[in-house]
Amino acid sequence: MSEKTNAPEISVKNVSMVFSDSKGNPVQALKNVSIDIQKGEFISLLGPSGCGKSTLLRIVSDLLTPTSGEVTVCGKTPRETRLEQKFGIVFQNPVLLDWRTVRKNIRLPLEMMKVPKEEQASRIEQVLELVGLKEFGNSYPGQLSGGMQQRVGIARALAIQPDILLMDEPFSALDEFTREKLNDDVLSIWRKTNKTVLFVTHNIAESVYMSDRICVLSPHPGRLSAIVDVDLPRPRNADMRGTPEFAALVEKVRNSFEGI
Amino acid sequence: MIKRITSSKGIVTAVWVLGLVVIWEICAFIVGATQRTPVNVLPHLYQIIGSFFDTKSITGSGDTIATLVFSSAAETLSRALIGFIIGMVLGYILALLMHLSHIVEKIAFPYLMIIQMIPILGMAPIVLSITGDISSARIIIAAILTFYPVSTNTLAGFKSVGRERHELMRSYGASKFQLYTKMLIPSAMSYFFTGLKISAPMAITASILVDTLQGGNGLGCMLSQSLKGSMTRFVFWDIVIFSAVIGVLSYYLMGVIERAITPSKRKAKKKAQ
Repeated sequence: MSEKTNAPEISVKNVSMVFSDSKGNPVQALKNVSIDIQKGEFISLLGPSGCGKSTLLRIVSDLLTPTSGEVTVCGKTPRETRLEQKFGIVFQNPVLLDWRTVRKNIRLPLEMMKVPKEEQASRIEQVLELVGLKEFGNSYPGQLSGGMQQRVGIARALAIQPDILLMDEPFSALDEFTREKLNDDVLSIWRKTNKTVLFVTHNIAESVYMSDRICVLSPHPGRLSAIVDVDLPRPRNADMRGTPEFAALVEKVRNSFEGI
Repeated sequence: MIKRITSSKGIVTAVWVLGLVVIWEICAFIVGATQRTPVNVLPHLYQIIGSFFDTKSITGSGDTIATLVFSSAAETLSRALIGFIIGMVLGYILALLMHLSHIVEKIAFPYLMIIQMIPILGMAPIVLSITGDISSARIIIAAILTFYPVSTNTLAGFKSVGRERHELMRSYGASKFQLYTKMLIPSAMSYFFTGLKISAPMAITASILVDTLQGGNGLGCMLSQSLKGSMTRFVFWDIVIFSAVIGVLSYYLMGVIERAITPSKRKAKKKAQ
């Protein structure tokens, strides 16, 4: 264990990413980004649209290959960790299959991993409990609210028992009340499961409330302009959102953006 | 709330049907006042419906209008159904191949468009002269007309699957087979059924049209004989109404089958009511 804590769980070194736009001109989405993330950390990637935060998440999860630079996840290449199902992704849209019930949606990755039937069932019940959707296992996604659908998305990501949870603006389509409720739920799940979480958001208060550290990304080109440590005590609760310490951190994060 | 809308939908349909009947009857009265043989131009609806239940024999072999319509319909519609099924299967397979390979799509798509643009009136005699057999010609024409909507709609369905759904499957390390069976094919199901809903009435119309090209026992054949005056004009009217009803029913049948095989739609509806 002790040697593992020294090596970062996710290591991003000098990663750059260049896309070409519709006219074929190169667009620099990320420039020389380096971040080390320790096991069990809750890290936010924060920035406005166009700062490359979702691109970085997709590079870590091997959905995109960087133009240059090196990424290791759990000491292996992103491709290896993807095929070993070491991470679960929660997307901005819940991406649920509307022809499957909640239970069968959560079962989808387990079917592909060839998890034995009995274990599938027990894992599904376990994650349903964790996200508080026990009574809705046989509902179809179309019958659920947006917040509940995103809970199913989280449950599905947890069902594969990943070491790392990658969340790509998971609550940006939800209203403020639902978002704050889900913030607390994710923190409580994180406490219970000890996962490493990489959380992409454009909401400053959300990133302060959730994270151990915030990676502030600035756009054009996407680059890391600051890493802000959040030293608010844990467990966090809604009352902290009104404290001067919280406001000071939000202000500090806001001031660390460049070129907006 | 939803219940009110669904019940008002029934009212809307009823108003539509009633409106059509009223317009028909007004026209029939106007025609009746000006023509000496209004039956040839536009008979009243009650005359048409009455003729359908007339027990008087109209052919040498003792058929009434109703038995004649039913036996002709069996002849034509069974071929339409076979053609529809063949077209559906081939159309689906082509959609799959076009989605799997860009080259297949590039080669096949222009031909699909061309086939669709040739009028059946031109295509049917060619097919008939090649096959030399009216039944095969009906099947082939129905299949050709089914093929295009099924193929293009299903392909559109495959293409409509969004980036995040692909990324989700990729993150699970899904094989191509799993991507299709667990994600793309179920996602495209409603598009596939849209194609079927368009093509089912078309397949029926087309096979009736093929009938008119040659003597025989089909609906279209009786239709043209009646128009030429070799049997009562009410055969024509009865077949027109009967075919229209069957065409509409074929459309609704596709919807019923769709709901039967996609429980999520059924359940969402149940909840709404």
